[in-house]
Amino acid sequence: MEENAVVNKLEQVFKKVFKNESLTINRMMSANDIDEWNSLNHMILVAEVEKYFSIKFKLKDLNKMHNVGDMIDIIISKL
Amino acid sequence: MNEYLIRKPLRSDLPFLADAVIAAERGISDKCNYSTLFNLSIEEVKELIIKMFEEEVDGCEFSLSSYLVTEYNKEPVAAFGAWIECLDGTMPSSILKSNLINYTFKKESVEFLKTKMDIVKELVAEREPLSLQFEYLYVSESHRGKSLAHDLINKHEENAKIIYPSLKKGQFQLFGNNTRIINLFGKHGYRVVKNYKSTHSEILNYLPYNEKLIMEKEFQD
Repeated sequence: MEENAVVNKLEQVFKKVFKNESLTINRMMSANDIDEWNSLNHMILVAEVEKYFSIKFKLKDLNKMHNVGDMIDIIISKL
Repeated sequence: MNEYLIRKPLRSDLPFLADAVIAAERGISDKCNYSTLFNLSIEEVKELIIKMFEEEVDGCEFSLSSYLVTEYNKEPVAAFGAWIECLDGTMPSSILKSNLINYTFKKESVEFLKTKMDIVKELVAEREPLSLQFEYLYVSESHRGKSLAHDLINKHEENAKIIYPSLKKGQFQLFGNNTRIINLFGKHGYRVVKNYKSTHSEILNYLPYNEKLIMEKEFQD
């Protein structure tokens, strides 16, 4: 899957988890940029990303995700 | 004569640490959120907590490196976790913990949490970067009243200032009905600086109390 397709699909996940249809994502975005991106929503976000992309993150993958760009790169590496 | 000895935990202490986490989570209630919010038995929670510790992630409440254990007659009798939040640019502990849960717990458990989000969301408190964060204090019943908790707090504060000399404050999150621990930390100069209250009618079915407090102390230079 190309990066653009991953970004589009990932953005849909973010919109669903954070219940914000006007939310857009970019590679530099992190938990500091979304008020509702707390520990509870992070768990749900990761679970939904795994479900949408049919992947399973390793723990070391999860702990390398400092921003959305890292998440995109790791998703692509698993597809 | 047997004496109490504060030391770093060993892997052989993991069952004790898991029991400590569960007991601390329950506080003065019977509600452990890892059980109620993830639809797990206490036995399952204990196994999962041990697995999370075994991943050897640093910088959160499921890091072996965060803990001090008090030993008596070669057995652990008390434990307390503390770490400096986001030290050296590490991820927030809340994210590290979330990642450990996502990795360790079954998908069905996280799906169950999703159905309870609205109940607990008002009590989610984030942690201040570069502050000393305390979590999960436990002293075995037969060893209470011997200042073990006081000694653990002092030791953690002492260690933290060596690791990070610019340390400005310590914080502890706890449920508002835990007056014993509020008083304990009060004696160490910690004061309530923030509170989070839940108005959800079902909160007490899942968590020990409907209010979470943050206690804080500023360290002198």
